[in-house]
Amino acid sequence: MLTYDVLIVGSGGAGLYAALKSRMEEDLRVAVLTKVYPTRSHTSAAQGGVNAALANKDPTDTWEQHWFDTVKGSDYLADQDAAELLCREAPEVIREMEHWGCPFDRTTEGKIAQRPFGGASKPRACHAADKIGHVMLHTLYEQGLRHGVDYFNEWLTISLLHDGKRCQGVNALDTRTGKLHTIQAKAVILATGGYGRIYWNRTSNAYGNTGDGLAIAYRAGLPLKDMEFVQFHPTGLRRTGILMSEGARGEGGFLLNGLGERFMTRYAPEKMELGPRDLVSRAIETEVRQGRGGPEGEVFLDLTHLGKEKIAERLPQIRQLCIDFEGVDPIEEPIPIKPTAHYSMGGIHTDINGLTSIEGVYAAGESGCVSVHGANRLGGNSLLDILVFGRRAGNHALEYARSVELPSMPKDILASAETRIKSLMEGESEEKLADIRRDMANIMANKAGIYRNAADLTEAVEDLVELKARYKRLKVKDKCKVFNTELVAALELENMLDLAEVVAKGALERTESRGAHSREDFPERDDKSWLVHTVATRGSDERPVLHFDPVTITRFQPEARTY
Amino acid sequence: MADKQYDDGYMHYAFYSGCCFQGADARFFEILEKVFDKVDVKIHLIDDAVCCGAGVIEERSELTSLAINARNMASAERMGLPFYTPCSTCFNVISNVQKRLGEDKKLFKQVNEILAEDDMEYKGECKITHTLWMLAQDVGLEKLKERITNPLNGLRVASYYGCHTRNPGDIQNYESSDNPTSLEDILKVLGVEIVDYDTRNDCCGYHLVWPNNKLSLKMTGDVLKGAQKKDVDLMVTSCPLCFKNLDGLQNKAVAATGGDFQLPVLFLPELVGLACGMSPKEMKLEWHGVPVNVRL
Amino acid sequence: MTEKITPVREKILSNIRIQRFTPGKDRSPYFDNFKMEVETGMTILEVLRHIKNTQDSSLTFRAFCRSSICGSCALRVNNKTVLACSTQLMPILKDFGKATVTITPMANLPIIRDLVVDIDPVIEKLAKMHPYLVENKDRVPETLEKESLMSQEELEAFGLMTDCILCGSCYSACSAVKADSNYAGPLTIAKAYRFSVDPRDDFRGMRFQAAMDQGLWSCVQCRKCIKVCPKDTRPADSIRDMRRISIDAGIHDSPGSRRAKAYTDDVERIGQVNKPMLPVIVHGTKGWAAIEAAEAGLKKHGMEPTRQVCSLPGQSGAAKIYAKVREIEGKKKGGKTNG
Repeated sequence: MLTYDVLIVGSGGAGLYAALKSRMEEDLRVAVLTKVYPTRSHTSAAQGGVNAALANKDPTDTWEQHWFDTVKGSDYLADQDAAELLCREAPEVIREMEHWGCPFDRTTEGKIAQRPFGGASKPRACHAADKIGHVMLHTLYEQGLRHGVDYFNEWLTISLLHDGKRCQGVNALDTRTGKLHTIQAKAVILATGGYGRIYWNRTSNAYGNTGDGLAIAYRAGLPLKDMEFVQFHPTGLRRTGILMSEGARGEGGFLLNGLGERFMTRYAPEKMELGPRDLVSRAIETEVRQGRGGPEGEVFLDLTHLGKEKIAERLPQIRQLCIDFEGVDPIEEPIPIKPTAHYSMGGIHTDINGLTSIEGVYAAGESGCVSVHGANRLGGNSLLDILVFGRRAGNHALEYARSVELPSMPKDILASAETRIKSLMEGESEEKLADIRRDMANIMANKAGIYRNAADLTEAVEDLVELKARYKRLKVKDKCKVFNTELVAALELENMLDLAEVVAKGALERTESRGAHSREDFPERDDKSWLVHTVATRGSDERPVLHFDPVTITRFQPEARTY
Repeated sequence: MADKQYDDGYMHYAFYSGCCFQGADARFFEILEKVFDKVDVKIHLIDDAVCCGAGVIEERSELTSLAINARNMASAERMGLPFYTPCSTCFNVISNVQKRLGEDKKLFKQVNEILAEDDMEYKGECKITHTLWMLAQDVGLEKLKERITNPLNGLRVASYYGCHTRNPGDIQNYESSDNPTSLEDILKVLGVEIVDYDTRNDCCGYHLVWPNNKLSLKMTGDVLKGAQKKDVDLMVTSCPLCFKNLDGLQNKAVAATGGDFQLPVLFLPELVGLACGMSPKEMKLEWHGVPVNVRL
Repeated sequence: MTEKITPVREKILSNIRIQRFTPGKDRSPYFDNFKMEVETGMTILEVLRHIKNTQDSSLTFRAFCRSSICGSCALRVNNKTVLACSTQLMPILKDFGKATVTITPMANLPIIRDLVVDIDPVIEKLAKMHPYLVENKDRVPETLEKESLMSQEELEAFGLMTDCILCGSCYSACSAVKADSNYAGPLTIAKAYRFSVDPRDDFRGMRFQAAMDQGLWSCVQCRKCIKVCPKDTRPADSIRDMRRISIDAGIHDSPGSRRAKAYTDDVERIGQVNKPMLPVIVHGTKGWAAIEAAEAGLKKHGMEPTRQVCSLPGQSGAAKIYAKVREIEGKKKGGKTNG
């Protein structure tokens, strides 16, 4: 049996930071298990910046102001003790990344450059052109190579193992061979990223952002928190959901509906296209729902009036994205867009060290929920979250692993995983993976997406139960063991179905609008009843059971969130 | 592309010879002039040009490479003629310099400050071309066809561009760099049958002759083997450096890759000359390393 | 004023020819043909996913971010290595003037299944290049109180290489890897260069050695890697740069570095490379045999051989340029010249 002191599941920023932290002193055996190659992870897609009150650009910036911005941005749902740690430790983690070679852009004095970001009171987003996530991820990977972290690439974790009290390890599928393995570990850190793919093609997320770690934890009896909060970005490309940044609207782009009307006049007559993200997303959704969308339910971001020169000079990257991914040259025609699921605030319920209710099991990054983002994540805080809490989880797991012996392992520990694979691989069925996945996405987008109400959400919950029943009949058609991507997709789909149900259930129960959660039938924030975290566990009927935990408020009393 | 200063029915080019026509290959000066005359083209040697450095000078000083090649282009600009080079590497290096200087105003200025030391100025107007596009586009396939007196029907030919007119794609905008057809278009006009082969897009290894001779020969041998397998009569290349390896080093290269054959290789202008009625003797085919013993 | 928007979508019924291989089942790769309607806007990845979702669920390929930043989906389309996610099919069909397109896995790497190759050889070669920053104590502070100081200009010296996404496209296109599987490949040397010019690093000597051991002078400069790199990192340029800084660091004793010196010096001295003497300059005395053989060849055709080609008229102008460049570079390097 493979044995490690600390095993990290997931190779994004949180996972690699945790791995590096637990391996730095080189006395423990540390491995990263990832279903891709480490540098493929979705951290690389983050473009804008990572927040830290370094005060390089504005000497009056402080971590306390960052803290306030974070709490306000969260619509007061963040736990303030956790948000405090996030902002207080930010300068240190950024400097550590810098010492490891991360190529941040520089000020004229040679310090790390910082720029203003939406929702931030001071310019504190550290950047590296438009590829900050990419360079951070690669820096962590490089240092991991230096310090001898082991990598299990293209292994998919199937289940989390524990004895009810402490961690035992994981069962995982080596996709290259199709073989199942148990990996024994004193500590497991789940860092598998978000679950935006429950909206399937209506997300900016990678194909693999299927919430694997969350689903595994959920099935192992661990609670999930605040799952109904999913942030949408108003302008994703029609075909792929790839983001068109605010830059295009900032340069004077128009949003047009299928009839060619500049529809924002109806929703934000003053700010027009530059209204807040959630408002623009809802406006687009309304146009489409009322039959004023384009032929494929899209609207259009029109830049043609800006002229060839301005587009080529001011928006060259946006233009290239449109040409490469959509086959549309924005100089010649309007860009078809749709709102796109962007970030999942919810995750595995942890304390400020990333620790879950099981000793030795941790979660960090987008798959965890400490919570620092509450109902709405502040731009530039997602990368910071993975650094600060990846590091904290790594440090804590390291101390824990040093203090305990290896767990004992029951003999038949692989059996349930084997049964699960077997049930998918053996036999034939009429059900098609792609159909179930598409139906899931439609339910989520139409009934539990940007607009939510009791009737739709009730239907969504019921529809998902039905869909889970259909999934139980699903068989993988590809019977080859080697690199079976259909099998992987089927396992991911099961994960997504479980999470989609928790999202819909949470959204139904939460009868208020807060941050990214927007109820047509309850348009106001309701601090009296709903200043609480939604905590979901899996019930005996395999359906989610919710309870609600208070939010930790230490300094900032809730106020209206206006900018 | 004929310049207005000439009104003689010929197209005129500033001719950048590069330094590949040394030693035995010096014959190509004369051959090019003769062949081009057949299609109403006159080339005028840029007499104060220097070697482009073949990219190798960049391994010592990039700025030197930029500056001497800006100077080479400036010399052609003074002549008021388009810049023609038969060498694919010269084309690649100089086009790349042109592109860099076109994109980077600061660098453009710096390079011109350096050129001022020699009372030269690079304006950035220089149009750079290669035999492929001079023949296929400037002369044009129509005119070329008219001048063919000895169509080479029935000859099975493996066409070979080499790398430096194709990679990277952004150094030229004459044709698609992923699917270039100029060489085949010309060859079809000459009457030959074009045979596809596996190693058509591979590199001949010329630029490793000095740093890693063994690898160079292996690459040359592999390219030849791919063509030879298709039972072609000969290979034709548009690059004089590829020609050096494919012909001059063929015996060694074939031996190095465990083969045992001889495959005649022609430099494109030679085949054009033959099709336009010039004799193998005039083309000095007897100078080839591998005997050109096919019916031409 | 307003006008209904009707996007123009061209459609072509196409034949997608895909290389297949299942280990344990197929002896060697073969091709499957899939018919489908391709429309404007479709990427290669969309085409593959469409086939997988509707025609053959066993079709195997990698894809992850589908926004050209993760580097998973590199493969070849009509023999050119591309990222499937950022490559539109319609323009390719038009470029090749055919309704058929051929999709094959990356070259130079073992096939695992269908379009999936084993990229571990690339990662292993990369790992040998020490592809990480080793802190230069003069620049990197001991504690996390402060960041190291570095100018934007210093950053930009290697900024381009930090765009590399390790997709392996350059490795797939590499002529030298194709001929010699021991050669490290473009991205690994580019990565070694990236760290070697980072002023915060203190490990360049080890990297020079690693690069020399893994074929720094085996790159043929065919420029294919530059053509295929989806992030425009220009690996072949970095290889030239790596050669340059290794020579600057005093590593002169390779045929390649001697060639670089000869070319550079000759152009200054006579305006062109004195090719007749290159064998001896590059290989030392064992080069004489090659020179004699070449001379015998010339005599056979009645030509008088020379060991010193003439000086070109442009030489004096070029020499002025050399001098000026040396002056500029000398200033930049704080007095060190390049010669």
